[in-house]
Amino acid sequence: MRYVSPLIQKECVEDIFSSRGAVLYLVGCGILSVFSLLLVSNTELSLLDNAQAVYMMVGIVIGLAVLIAVIRGSDGFAGERERETLETLLTAPIDAEDAAMAKLAGIAFSWLIIFLLSVPYLWAVGSTGQNLWPAFEYLFLAGTLLVLIFGGFTLALSARIKTVKGVLSIGLLLFLVCGSPIVMGPSLRQSVIGRFMDVVNPFGVALNMLDSVVVDSQGILVQILPLAVLLCYTGAVLLFLHLATRRMGL
Amino acid sequence: MNVVEIESLKKSFEGRKVLENTFMTVQKGDIYGFLGPNGSGKTTTLRILLGILHPDGGRVNVMGLDPSMEGDRLRQRVNVLPESHGFYGWMWAEDYLRFFGQLYGLNLSAADCRMHMEQVGLDSADHRPIRTFSRGMKQRLGMARALVNDPEVLFLDEPTNGLDPKGRSEIHDLLLHLNREKGMTVVISTHILDDVERLCNRIGILYNANIQYEGPLFGASSRKAIRYRFRVAGEDRILGQRNLPGITVQEGTGNWFSCIIEDMKPEEAIKSLVQRGIPVTEAIQMGSGLEAMYLTYTGGERRP
Repeated sequence: MRYVSPLIQKECVEDIFSSRGAVLYLVGCGILSVFSLLLVSNTELSLLDNAQAVYMMVGIVIGLAVLIAVIRGSDGFAGERERETLETLLTAPIDAEDAAMAKLAGIAFSWLIIFLLSVPYLWAVGSTGQNLWPAFEYLFLAGTLLVLIFGGFTLALSARIKTVKGVLSIGLLLFLVCGSPIVMGPSLRQSVIGRFMDVVNPFGVALNMLDSVVVDSQGILVQILPLAVLLCYTGAVLLFLHLATRRMGL
Repeated sequence: MNVVEIESLKKSFEGRKVLENTFMTVQKGDIYGFLGPNGSGKTTTLRILLGILHPDGGRVNVMGLDPSMEGDRLRQRVNVLPESHGFYGWMWAEDYLRFFGQLYGLNLSAADCRMHMEQVGLDSADHRPIRTFSRGMKQRLGMARALVNDPEVLFLDEPTNGLDPKGRSEIHDLLLHLNREKGMTVVISTHILDDVERLCNRIGILYNANIQYEGPLFGASSRKAIRYRFRVAGEDRILGQRNLPGITVQEGTGNWFSCIIEDMKPEEAIKSLVQRGIPVTEAIQMGSGLEAMYLTYTGGERRP
């Protein structure tokens, strides 16, 4: 791990200066703008409770962050392999696990940018209500863990699957299945499938935690169990990433 | 002193044996030409030597280190120009060199980067995004990157790909300078036999998953050798007589066989064969020098 910091730096700089990174953030800002406008309009017309609007906005931010993590994770090794830069990188005195950690740090950096970009939008939606600060805190916490889970998982896949297209297909499918709680109504979430998804799906766990904090104003003690679940998923994904990058093929 | 030693190296991909009991020895100060047809396993061997691919069996030693176990330590002291070396197009040339320098624990100044660029014939005015570089410029930048840590052993996979004759000549001069002035050992995997003839003192020819020939380039079987195909009246009569003086008999098909003639004129060789009861009825010269040797050892002979 001696010279891994320049690699982390490269991942972060690439995220901003490559055309791919800039486009992702522009699209992200566009999505956040549209949704915040809709939510502000709804709260102004008293069609939506302020806390509910903040919760929905937080869900959109998390969905966007995970989507970008999946895209970046898929591109991690498979993209470098396709652009023929992976071999040159691995001929330097670093190993694939160092490179994986640097790439995961790059994905986390993307999340940090998304989080910072989301701050004014969340402020616009929720500044007149309560629980905005807890929303920021738990959004950062849950978002970080979810980004590590989904980004790390797709990064591990990209260490083993040769093409970005192949990894991205699996990553997006996983994102759609796990992200379904966002589009599920409250009644659907009370069904057997909805309850099951809430328990095993890290996305559902994170959203329930945010619901509990933002809408129900519940404290930290209630959040220990969902946080533990998310941490377990994070640990499992990091282990999977470690195993996938060990003796990684070119 | 040997800086690269391979013994009984084995590597298979999905059941296909790429390397089987392969051996190789590179001595300190060598410019070693690593030859072989496409798909013969040269790149696989180089990757194993760098520790980025793990062998199925055998012993590999590079500068006293086992690449599989001590890859990081080894790669600190060697460098490589891979055949398929992509670039981060968004980076600028100096930043690219500085980034790779940092991976080796080096903090390259702008002057250091310019020195590395000028060393390979890149102008300091070429400090711009790499995506705007021509193929030849990228090849030069790749070479500059491979020299960034001042390696003791430099592995090059097709180093003159995409370079014009002037560029090739400059790279030749640079490699000879590095070898003679700094004692850098160079291993070149290439198809361009002219590069090998101009640079290398020893060669290895890889074919059929094994080294078919390893030794000095300007030894008995190279410059002076001429490759001939002879037709004889009667089949297989010569194939059992491989130790004719000055004539190395290769495999043949039908009543044609190929051989390498050294230190004698072709007519003397024909006379010698006839005197031994082998009636040569037709003779075709196939080539000379390294090309003849390469074709002979790689079974690349053309039908007459």
